Amino acid sequence: MHTGHYISGGAHGILILWALFGGMFRSDPPEVQVAEVSVISEAQFAAMMQPQAAPQLGAEPAALPQPQIEEQPPEPPVQDAQPTPPPEPAEPEVSDPDPAPQPVLPQPEPEVVETLPQPPAPEPVPEVEAPEVALRPIPRPAPRVAPEAVPEPAPDAEVAPEVQETVERSETPDVTDAEEQQATAPEAATTEIVTEAEEPARAPSASVRPQVRPNRPAPTPPQTETAEAPSEPASAPEASPPAQEDTAAADATASAIAGALEEALSGGATDGPSGPPLTQGETDGFRIAVQDCWVVDVGSQAANVTVTVGFDMDRSGRVVSSSLRMLAAEGGSGSAVETAFQAARRAILRCQGDGYNLPPEKFDQWKTVEMTFNPESMRIR
Amino acid sequence: MKQVVAMLLTVLGMAVSAPMVAMAQSGPLRIEITEGVVEPLPYAVPDFVAESAGAQQLAQQIARVVAEDLTGTGLFREVPREAHISQITSFGSPVQFADWKAINAQALVTGAVSSDGNRVIVKFRVWDVFAGTELGQGMQFAGTPDGWRRMAHKVADQVYSRITGESGYFDSRVVFVSESGPKDQRVKRLAVMDYDGANVQFLTGSNALVLAPRFSDDGQRVLYTSYETGMPRVHVLEVGTVQSRILQGQDGVMSFAPRFAPNGQTVVYSLTQGSNTDIWAMDIGSGGVRQLTSAPSIETAPSYSPDGSQIVFESDRSGTQQLYVMSASGGEARRISFGQGRYSTPVWSPRGDMIAFTKQNAGRFHIGVMRTDGSEERLLTASFLDEGPTWAPNGRVIMFARETQGAQGSSSLYTVDISGRNLKRVRTPEGASDPSWGALQ
Repeated sequence: MHTGHYISGGAHGILILWALFGGMFRSDPPEVQVAEVSVISEAQFAAMMQPQAAPQLGAEPAALPQPQIEEQPPEPPVQDAQPTPPPEPAEPEVSDPDPAPQPVLPQPEPEVVETLPQPPAPEPVPEVEAPEVALRPIPRPAPRVAPEAVPEPAPDAEVAPEVQETVERSETPDVTDAEEQQATAPEAATTEIVTEAEEPARAPSASVRPQVRPNRPAPTPPQTETAEAPSEPASAPEASPPAQEDTAAADATASAIAGALEEALSGGATDGPSGPPLTQGETDGFRIAVQDCWVVDVGSQAANVTVTVGFDMDRSGRVVSSSLRMLAAEGGSGSAVETAFQAARRAILRCQGDGYNLPPEKFDQWKTVEMTFNPESMRIR
Repeated sequence: MKQVVAMLLTVLGMAVSAPMVAMAQSGPLRIEITEGVVEPLPYAVPDFVAESAGAQQLAQQIARVVAEDLTGTGLFREVPREAHISQITSFGSPVQFADWKAINAQALVTGAVSSDGNRVIVKFRVWDVFAGTELGQGMQFAGTPDGWRRMAHKVADQVYSRITGESGYFDSRVVFVSESGPKDQRVKRLAVMDYDGANVQFLTGSNALVLAPRFSDDGQRVLYTSYETGMPRVHVLEVGTVQSRILQGQDGVMSFAPRFAPNGQTVVYSLTQGSNTDIWAMDIGSGGVRQLTSAPSIETAPSYSPDGSQIVFESDRSGTQQLYVMSASGGEARRISFGQGRYSTPVWSPRGDMIAFTKQNAGRFHIGVMRTDGSEERLLTASFLDEGPTWAPNGRVIMFARETQGAQGSSSLYTVDISGRNLKRVRTPEGASDPSWGALQ
């Protein structure tokens, strides 16, 4: 209850003790720095304050001691070995700082002798022995090991330890005619097992491409079928009069259907590629792959040419080189057009690698391509 | 009746699906590409085959000059020889395109050199590696051993032309002012060199200040301004004999900034009478002159269009130096430069589609190009002092003089592609300024 008083009293006691013995009321003054001074008279002060006269130029300074030149250079130290004479300095090239102008002789004019004939075509690369496409693998028959090698028996011979040729009944009777017997032969055998690892490799370079989804059936046949359909009932017109009325109605219906079909299928769908179209992503992927290899010389005349190149592709996505052709060109001179076509052709061929990444199931959509190279946005301005 | 209903349903189904089929593309796949890459085209030049005993070194030198020419354009990048898989050991042997495809060489130059000591024959072929075909036909040049560099330049011109579809500029020469000595006592002389700085030959002595040499189209004559008489005068110099004469001899009159017309018979230049400078034209054959401008301002630096029908020049008639175009026979001029700063030293492109100029703006000098109507102005360089552009014969590259700052500053020649890329210094033995690029030889 009196805790607060105790604490307060203690603290005040400590404070009073510190004030008494802690030096708070000590009377020692702090030390003062004292500078020693000297007293001078007024005359001395006036003499000090007078302007100092500039120093007078004295007489000629004494000559500096010159280094003594020895009359005789010190003898070089004698060396035991025979000194080798220093190498002769190279003759400096005499160059006229201001050569007179000389007539400029015409440089020899090279002459074009002739154009060279066509070089030989490169030799074709030899075909590999391995088949391009492997068929379904056929299991190898396991070899039978026997003390003696036995050749492959005839296909229709039964397996038997003894060899028996086929004996057939002859048309002409013969005394020695043997009894009719089935051919037999011992089973084929070899003396050692030859594994696949010891045979030359015949691995195929490609496997069978997965079978694509079958194309939609061509829509053209219904037109002819419907046209021919009414002719069948017409073969028996007089069999029953009500049937004749039905036939006439069916004929009109069939012609209407044929017309509707023709209208529905018009629009070129019959002569265009079948199957689903390429997605935007697939088309963009193809475009980006080619444009990465399209080198544009922005300062050239060819940069003013827009060229359209047509080409065919195989199912692996590779360009058929011989099919590359220029379909159209706009702007620029003849040589500029040819240069633009070459640049486009290089771009198409260079970036194909092992084939462009296009969906094989949509081959009909991209087997023929028309690619337009338009450098308008890249021209320097 | 059932049959009819079934057929109607079939027709209905096909009619519904028909639009979907129509939505699919018809005919070939059509793609438009509008973005390509701007990069040097990789090519390979293996050492040419030496077909005679003493031609080994020559074959290597010629192949190297061809490679330097092509790579120097900035349009081609040589695949280093260390990367080559195939070696060309015989000029007639077939090319293994697969080996060159593997190192991504898009073009291949093969060649052979034979020499009997007095006559050198260089033959070459250019190949499109990825198409597997030859570009153009094989060709061969014959000349003397002294002319091996020219033959190499001619081979490079052919290669350049077959790949780019445009003529080259390697077998050409440049006349310029060679400068030596400190800046305050500089000695200036006319000199001529190959486009790459080789084979420098002096045309004048150092007794008089010379300025602004200009080649004629045939490269046989040079116009220049000389202070030989104490007054600037236009001189014409025959390159073959190094003989020169004053073209315009009127006393007390300054004439300068001369340039040949494309026909080689007319010279256009500036003439100062009193305080007025106008453009005049002179027929070299008859000596007849006619005044083309008559403004009270300063008209100078005239340059003909390639067809000789128009002249571009600079004038301060609007208060600052600007570019104007007028008919070659004089008359009304139209202003084509409207940007900030001062325009000077216009030169018409050999292609006829652009005009190069010097521009001074905000304390910097630029070399720029614009269309002949003043549109599409582009500045290609910027430095303390760039001036005096001149076009390569094919109108693709511009050479100009660049001077460095300070008391020790010197002038050098540089080239830049009109796309603004490939800024390069031309190697000259001394300082150089005022270049004028001659035609293809």
